[in-house]
Amino acid sequence: MADFNVTKREVGDVSILDVNGFLDAHTAPDLENAFNNLIENKNYKVVINFSGLKYISSAGLGVFMAYVETMRDNGGDIKFSNLKDDVYNVFDLLGFPMLYEFYKSEDEAIAKYNRAK
Amino acid sequence: MDKTNNKKIENAFFVSVLLFVFKIIFPSANTFILLLINEILILASAYFWFIYVSDFVNPKVSKPLSLVINAGLLNALLFFLMSASSWLFSGLKNSTDLIYVLFSSIIAFVFIGALSYVFAVYKKLCFYRQKKNPSLYYKIMLIFFALTALASAFFKADKTVEGLKVVLPDSNSLIYNILFAITVSLILANSFRVAWIAFLNKKQKINLLMLSIAIIFISGMNSANDNFIFIKNFSPALNQLLDLVMLYGLLYFIIVFFITLFHLPTAEVIDRKNEELSSFKDISKMMSQVFDSEELYETITSTTLKVSNANASWLVINNNDDTTIHSVKGIGLIEAKQLSDFLLGRKIVSSSEAKIIDITEVKGKEDLPKDIYTIVSAPLSIHNSNKGYLFAARKTYYRFEEEDSKSVSTFADFAAIALENTKLLEESIEKERLEKELDVARDVQYKLLPQKIPEYKNLDIAALFVPAFEVGGDYYDFFEIDKNKFAVVIADVSGKGIEAAFIMAEVKGIFSSLSKLNFSTKELLIKANSILERSLPKKIFVTVTFGIIDTKEEKFTFVRAGHSPLLYLSDNNISRLVPQGIGLGLNFTEKFDNLLKEMEIKLNNNDIIILFTDGINETLNEYFEEFGYDRLEKLIFENRHLSADQISKSIMKAITTFSKNRSQHDDITLVILKWNNNINKPGVN
Repeated sequence: MADFNVTKREVGDVSILDVNGFLDAHTAPDLENAFNNLIENKNYKVVINFSGLKYISSAGLGVFMAYVETMRDNGGDIKFSNLKDDVYNVFDLLGFPMLYEFYKSEDEAIAKYNRAK
Repeated sequence: MDKTNNKKIENAFFVSVLLFVFKIIFPSANTFILLLINEILILASAYFWFIYVSDFVNPKVSKPLSLVINAGLLNALLFFLMSASSWLFSGLKNSTDLIYVLFSSIIAFVFIGALSYVFAVYKKLCFYRQKKNPSLYYKIMLIFFALTALASAFFKADKTVEGLKVVLPDSNSLIYNILFAITVSLILANSFRVAWIAFLNKKQKINLLMLSIAIIFISGMNSANDNFIFIKNFSPALNQLLDLVMLYGLLYFIIVFFITLFHLPTAEVIDRKNEELSSFKDISKMMSQVFDSEELYETITSTTLKVSNANASWLVINNNDDTTIHSVKGIGLIEAKQLSDFLLGRKIVSSSEAKIIDITEVKGKEDLPKDIYTIVSAPLSIHNSNKGYLFAARKTYYRFEEEDSKSVSTFADFAAIALENTKLLEESIEKERLEKELDVARDVQYKLLPQKIPEYKNLDIAALFVPAFEVGGDYYDFFEIDKNKFAVVIADVSGKGIEAAFIMAEVKGIFSSLSKLNFSTKELLIKANSILERSLPKKIFVTVTFGIIDTKEEKFTFVRAGHSPLLYLSDNNISRLVPQGIGLGLNFTEKFDNLLKEMEIKLNNNDIIILFTDGINETLNEYFEEFGYDRLEKLIFENRHLSADQISKSIMKAITTFSKNRSQHDDITLVILKWNNNINKPGVN
């Protein structure tokens, strides 16, 4: 299957992960590594920018579930932004929007963090 | 081989016994004929023993130095015997005495044996690594040995030494002198066959120098020693033979000594060539060592020590994010780590070529191990991607030369290939293991699914399940609650493979036991969620649609926990039902309970309920387009008049056509329930 990659940016004390390509059971470990790095560096405020993501499978969704607790316990969160409709539908069907914050743009997500301070 | 060997020893024994018997009958051979027979027997037994002993020298031919040591020891034995015999025989004046004959015979045989062996060794050395066949010269020399020995017996002068009558070769005899001179020149001619020296390594050459000095000394002593009178009396020819062999040893080893001495400065070059040769063997061994990476690391570093003449060697292997050190030799692990971290961290090593690094000239070396002076680093590269580094280090002031760096670099190239092969093999073994695991998972999944579709009045049920190659975690089931009610469940465990299969098994257990307890659909899912809290891994969730059909009340009640929509066709209208509810495992608080909403459908004749997993709508075609809900709904609508089973088949057919050349990446599960009052025949109730 097509490739997946994740890159990290920082805006203030918020870490942005840009996810690109296809996130499934095979590529999920890459995203897990990125999260482990964030935790190692004590970056708990995370925004996932989905603008480059083409597909997400259930294994990909599971990654967020595995890390959200750690982030929230340390005063951070995982917020989602820039989801394409079909990717959002997958989250929506599962009930993610009732448990996680979704934003149209990355800036809104960052602003939410900054407002909370 | 054994047969000819037996024959050789038979010959030697026969002649020896003959000689012994002859000596007992004629203790002193004082006529010409007797002396001739005596000497011929002596020479013959020496010759046959020599032939026999040569076979024992053969197998050792690959170790010339051990041959030299043996020759040296036997020379020393002869020296000892000669020194001892003059003292031993000083009491036995009468040479015709039986005891004297017995003793002298024994000693003579020891002499013959030792001489034969020494001579056989010399011969082997002479023939060793010779390209031309030297045997003709050698044969001529042997003949002259015999002739000179015989001549010494017949052209002799009787003398008296220390009161004893002895025979000595007549130094005035022209024939004897000519023969002797020819023999000596033949010895000299044959003594230049020393090709074997070139193939010794430096250490062996130094040893050979010592041994040569010892043999020259002993042979010289033996040759100069005139005190073994009894041998002379026993057989002048044997005495002469002894002298000649000693002379041969003396001359040969003088030449060996000087040639070795001249070879010494170039010995290291020979050593290096030899090492290179043997490292080729190591390389081929290494290339076949693909089954155990630890073993391979060992071979790589130990061979590196050899090819570069280094004191220490170790490997640094790149993993995904970090590096690991392997097979550290000749240096501590901590020191090796310090050095490689330092060199890699400061980018002193190059990932494209081998480099010689002079630690003494590096800045910031203060924290580095003090005993390492020079290092060669060679990258392990495959297709221009760097897999790690091979290090060799010296604890001496001798800097690594270009040549060393070249050989380490060449060797590193081979090592990289071998490492890559090992990795590929390990991966394919891992792949095979995963495939086996998937077989098990698939098997578990099949056994969890209902073996047959239940039959209810007014209800036409069909189910379809197509597993993906990697088990997807789909599950469906039916449970009878009472005679009017039955439950249907469809679920999808996130994740794949054996893990998904095990969770599926647990989910089946939870549903089959809870469904007996007469909960509402919502209550049942809330219970299921709280049970799963204990066992579900954080990143795994389960989407479920659980419904109960009440055939008496003619209604369908269901809840949806994060699962795909339920399609409902009624009155020529198809709708996507998505009551609120989050997946099992997403949240274990009241949030889950509060968000879960139950939905009820009144069942009318020909109503169709379709439950499915995302494997259907997410099926991709060759343009990466999804099958989607719309196609599915249209298909169902068009086939609404068919039986549940026929609808299911038409869906399967459409999906297969749609995905054509693409492999199915998720399980496909479909359950169709068609409510049909018309099949309710009177009397069956």
